[in-house]
Amino acid sequence: MNREVNVEKKIRRRALILGFSKSVFALLVCGKLFYLQILQKSKYGKLSDSNRIKVKILLPERGTIYDYFNKPIASNRIDYQLNIFKEKKGLINKYINTLKGHITFTDRDLVEIKENLDEQDLSDFITIKKNLTWKELEFLEFMSSKFPFLIITKEKVRYYKNNTIFSHVLGYVGYKKNVSKKKLLNLKVGISGIEKKLNKKLLGSDGWRKYETNSKGRIKKELNMKNSIPGQNIRTFLISDVQKRAYKEMSGISGAIVMIDCKNGGVNCLMSSPSFDNNAFSDGVSRKKWNQLLGDEFNPLLNRCIAGLYSPGSTYKLITALHALENKNFNKEKNFFCSGHVAFGNRKFHCWKKEGHGNVNLFNAIKKSCDSYFYNLAKGLEIDKLSNFSNLFSYGDRTGIDIPNELKGIMPNKKWKMENRGQRWHRGETLNAVIGQGFMLSTPLQIALMTARLASGKKIIPSIIYKERSFDNLNINENNLNFLRRSMFSVVNDSDGTAFRSKLSGRMKMAGKTGTSQVRRISLAEREDGVLKNEELSYKLRDHSVFTCYAPYDDPRFAMSVIAEHMGSGSKVAAPIAKRIMEFALKSYI
Amino acid sequence: MAEFLFKLKNLNWLFVFLVFFLSFVGFVMIYSATISGENMILVSHVYKIAIGFTFMIFIALIDMDFWKRYAYVFYFLGLILLFWASFYGYLGKGARRWINLFGINFQPSETMKIILIISLAKFFDEKKIQENKDYFFLVLPILLVIVPFLLILSQPDLGTAMLILFVSLIIFFMSGISWKLFAIFGTLSLTIAPYLWNGLKDYQKQRILTLFNPENDPLGSGYHIIQSQIAIGSGGTFGKGWLKGSQSHLDFLPEKHTDFIFSMLGEEFGFFGTISVIGLICLITFMAFQIFRRYAHNNFNRVVGYGIISNFFFASLINMSMVIGILPVVGLPLPLVSYGGSSMLTYFIGFGIILSLDRNSK
Repeated sequence: MNREVNVEKKIRRRALILGFSKSVFALLVCGKLFYLQILQKSKYGKLSDSNRIKVKILLPERGTIYDYFNKPIASNRIDYQLNIFKEKKGLINKYINTLKGHITFTDRDLVEIKENLDEQDLSDFITIKKNLTWKELEFLEFMSSKFPFLIITKEKVRYYKNNTIFSHVLGYVGYKKNVSKKKLLNLKVGISGIEKKLNKKLLGSDGWRKYETNSKGRIKKELNMKNSIPGQNIRTFLISDVQKRAYKEMSGISGAIVMIDCKNGGVNCLMSSPSFDNNAFSDGVSRKKWNQLLGDEFNPLLNRCIAGLYSPGSTYKLITALHALENKNFNKEKNFFCSGHVAFGNRKFHCWKKEGHGNVNLFNAIKKSCDSYFYNLAKGLEIDKLSNFSNLFSYGDRTGIDIPNELKGIMPNKKWKMENRGQRWHRGETLNAVIGQGFMLSTPLQIALMTARLASGKKIIPSIIYKERSFDNLNINENNLNFLRRSMFSVVNDSDGTAFRSKLSGRMKMAGKTGTSQVRRISLAEREDGVLKNEELSYKLRDHSVFTCYAPYDDPRFAMSVIAEHMGSGSKVAAPIAKRIMEFALKSYI
Repeated sequence: MAEFLFKLKNLNWLFVFLVFFLSFVGFVMIYSATISGENMILVSHVYKIAIGFTFMIFIALIDMDFWKRYAYVFYFLGLILLFWASFYGYLGKGARRWINLFGINFQPSETMKIILIISLAKFFDEKKIQENKDYFFLVLPILLVIVPFLLILSQPDLGTAMLILFVSLIIFFMSGISWKLFAIFGTLSLTIAPYLWNGLKDYQKQRILTLFNPENDPLGSGYHIIQSQIAIGSGGTFGKGWLKGSQSHLDFLPEKHTDFIFSMLGEEFGFFGTISVIGLICLITFMAFQIFRRYAHNNFNRVVGYGIISNFFFASLINMSMVIGILPVVGLPLPLVSYGGSSMLTYFIGFGIILSLDRNSK
């Protein structure tokens, strides 16, 4: 019994130790719980939220671009995209390998995935495949349980219904790398054309959507969201059907067609040929395709309407004539005899008509496009004054059209020559200048604008984007303008006019002026051997065919310029194209 | 019949209530853990509580002499079942630890803990070690521990094996084994530890290693501990509310109805909840200590009691320590709260014995 008691005492002692160590243990656990739940609550709270909450940036829907009659010409389509949780990006390669057989990953996709991985935007998702086809979508829906952390989203992406037709004027969208606003990295912005010019308006602003997801990446519910604000819609002066018609007319021809509304300065048509597919650009064009386009000898990426430079050729005679009438008080009934050439100094200046036009006055000189008459006229003209006067018709300066990358061309004068060629101006060069050859270069837009200003007598500024405007008068004697208009009328409507074959068939009349833009200088030796016919020359040396016109004659509405590269004289190719487009436009819209 | 009612009346009903309340906490948490889908688990859990509770009351009515008398018989039976489970049992969670007994899935390793406590207490009680200076007698009790320990380790069930070793040490300690022997044992175990380490499965090694720095491998073996800490920490003072734990309900928290149920409790009921449960466990332990202190002149009963309550207490606190990142995650349920029949039944049996002890002490 004594032993039992001793043992009992010992057990009591040891029970105390046991109880004490248990208390210590319990306190240790409580301490850690206090640390986790009280002291570190906010840290773990955030970690818990970042586990469950996934943010998806909602890109805004780009504004629609409409034509003059409110037909959409740049809109958006729905694009299904495959995304993966950013935190699971380690799985990407594995998933791609598994999905390869069912979903096509192009090299470009793979490059884009890599780029997306480096992005630091706020989104918790990385897009790994865009443009999912229905078949791919079906497959992914069916297999979704096998691929956690993948989600399919519906995005609105830019879509041009009439790709290639509006490519130059609308431009295209794409990613702009290294922009300062990190969170918008995944947003496509306008790269050229209207898309670039009005990017801010079209863009809108982004929103977000917060999802609650489980550990497998399945979305359980939507927590909250901020809608993205779609970009503004934009109406333009472009007329889809005219643009389409112009596109059709220019198939196989390099060149440009510009049509301006004489009433409001709106650009109804801005067609540069050859074109490119702006949808392909917006979806991301491959480097190979890009290099191919850059290397194309017909340069499809160039917007010839605003950045193609051509000698205006005989169309410029209108300005020379107007200048002489307006500023030199030139007697328009004065006759010059055209023998086929004019001697000046020790040089001979040739008329396009080798056998000559005989006796002509100014009216006939314009109608028949007699070069000799203008050579003689030029003898009394100062290049600097002509150059200044030409500025009134936008030559030598930008027209101020509302898309980027417009060139201003060259309107030569003495200062220009000294600065650019380091030489004095030769008086003989004035003879070349008055017929729109020599140094002078202009864009198709400038030529069309010249015609629009002549036709309206107003200082029209071209605009693609729709807006209400009024224009100042040119301050040119109305009699002189009317003389010019009448002579342009005769070019098309008189049987001896250079563009008579392009006379409109309907009730309405068109006024115009042909032009031939020389690409090469014809040498003296060649002249003596007989000038080669255009068809006998190699393509690159052939003349450009130029025509500018407006209609209806009595109430001008459409002013147009057509340039067909290397297609010979203006009357042969450019004028018939202009006639067909003008007939179409007049029939449809007047 | 009168005797039966008398015995029943004499039960420590406050203690019964506390135990029941703890299993009610388990019910509440399992309810939350299984709300989205597997509701069969909840039904099964309720059945197990009912069965276990009945068992507890039944065992409380059995006198302590019964256990002392048949301790070795039980040990022998337990060992046979353990052999069966370790070699012919079926696999679950990478371990061969279950057997099917009369249509019920059963883990002999759990019950073996109680049986071992009783057997060791009986051995030391009969050996009168106070007078015995010859330490050779320790061979048998060490064998009693080592055999089931190795069997359980081989399943492999590291958590239960370590716990069984730990609880055995407590029995050795409470039976009055000299301090010197513990010192020797300590040195010895430090020597063989490297060999034991080599015997561990890779995943077990990983678990232990990542304890020290779970952030090292946040998607691999550190994932469980990190997610568990996030769950508990994000609960804050009062928790996110019942059924509202995002970590638990969105499956970021693994094993939420078994080993990690305490993390879910921490997430949904906060510091308030976790401290309350620890308080409840401490209260049960404290009450048991009071019972054993009052109990006079039967050292066997006393040692058994300390062993059983220590098993419960340490299993609880070790489980908590694992999920909050104090100890490596080796797989131990939270007594009476986690889902799992064998474990729960064992603790109910244990509490039954403590109740019987209490009844005998009056």
